[in-house]
Amino acid sequence: MASPVDQFQIKTIGPSLNVAGMDISFTNSAAFMILATVVVGVFLTQSMSGRHLVPTRFQSMAELSYEFIANMVRENVGSEGRAYFPLIFTLFMFILAGNLLGMIPYSYTFTSQIIVTFAMAITVFIGVTIIALLKHGTHFFSYFLPEGAPIVLAPLLIVIEVLSYLSRPISLSVRLFANMMAGHTMMKVFGGFVVALGIFGVAPLAVLVALTAFEVLVAVLQAYVFAILTCIYLHDAIHLH
Amino acid sequence: MIANSVTRWSRRIGLAAVATVAALPTWAATDGGGGGLPQLDVSTFPTQVFWLFVSFALLYFVMSKVAIPRIADVLEERQERIEDDIETADRLRAEAEAVKAEYEKAVADARSDAHDLVRKAMDEIAASHAKAEAEAAKKTAETTKAAEARIAEQRTEALESLKSVASEAAAEATAKLTGLKVTDAKVGKAVEAAMQGGA
Repeated sequence: MASPVDQFQIKTIGPSLNVAGMDISFTNSAAFMILATVVVGVFLTQSMSGRHLVPTRFQSMAELSYEFIANMVRENVGSEGRAYFPLIFTLFMFILAGNLLGMIPYSYTFTSQIIVTFAMAITVFIGVTIIALLKHGTHFFSYFLPEGAPIVLAPLLIVIEVLSYLSRPISLSVRLFANMMAGHTMMKVFGGFVVALGIFGVAPLAVLVALTAFEVLVAVLQAYVFAILTCIYLHDAIHLH
Repeated sequence: MIANSVTRWSRRIGLAAVATVAALPTWAATDGGGGGLPQLDVSTFPTQVFWLFVSFALLYFVMSKVAIPRIADVLEERQERIEDDIETADRLRAEAEAVKAEYEKAVADARSDAHDLVRKAMDEIAASHAKAEAEAAKKTAETTKAAEARIAEQRTEALESLKSVASEAAAEATAKLTGLKVTDAKVGKAVEAAMQGGA
């Protein structure tokens, strides 16, 4: 029987492409990234094409996602966050689509790839740090010493705060990656049990059904968590605490 | 605050440790080929990062140029429409209230007019009634007066004729009883005297 982690195998589709000694061939992972882009793009543009005053079902869904993220940005970043709304909305929809497309049998979950989540997280981290530096200059470094803290503790606090700040991209990426990978591995393992146990497979099948529902929840929740943490980091960068 | 920082820090460290431990089999994956997690096969990293960048940039472009402005437009339009409708509703309600006030005023006016008319009519009726009553009283008085005059006249007449009848009867009776012929003048004088005395 195939290993439960075989589902994460990257497979090249079509000819292999090499640019500057790096393999950038189109893969199953890339296919689902493009699919997520197309699905989100088509969903958000086509559902709104009617511009109905009283929204249709799809238009209502598009408007709800828009307002959900708009409120998230307004509440967590403030009015300065408006400029970053398109980025956070894109980030949320992209991860959400990636997670949910991954729930379709035989599909590929690109958000279960550490490099994909890490690339997004490190981009957010670097972007947020640049915003903070541009906005506050050297004053930004006061972020690492909480106001009112006793000066004796400063060496310790600064170390802790810097470590905590630097671990942000790691926690952000590992959270999404680990959740997606663990969930899909679990489903594969229970799927294996269903086949292996024959008639008694109904027991793991019941677990599998519950697990599938749970995974859909996790798919939405992790996209939300990624987006809201990005908002919180942005808030820190703009307001420094 | 410090406790908070420490817990945050330890959580981050824990996650970093997980990442590090997870990163350990990278060598195994690259060396052994397929032994470890497929996610840790660094040879797949460039293609994934490249296609992630391509698809994300494409999606960001579509979102920021088409999808987001369109949704914002529709939401704004709806907001405006709702505000317009509320405004119109307020205006119409104010109008309706004005019309209602006008109507109520008209009704009150009509009511007071009607009241005035009724009172006027009643006054008129009372006046004409009084006039008619007075006229009737006058007429009755006249009639009564005329009747009384006629009665008095007739009474005089009756008395006159009674005198002549009495004179005749007296003359007849005298003639029968005494056999004397009495002159009319004498009888008349006697009757008159008797009537004057008797009356």
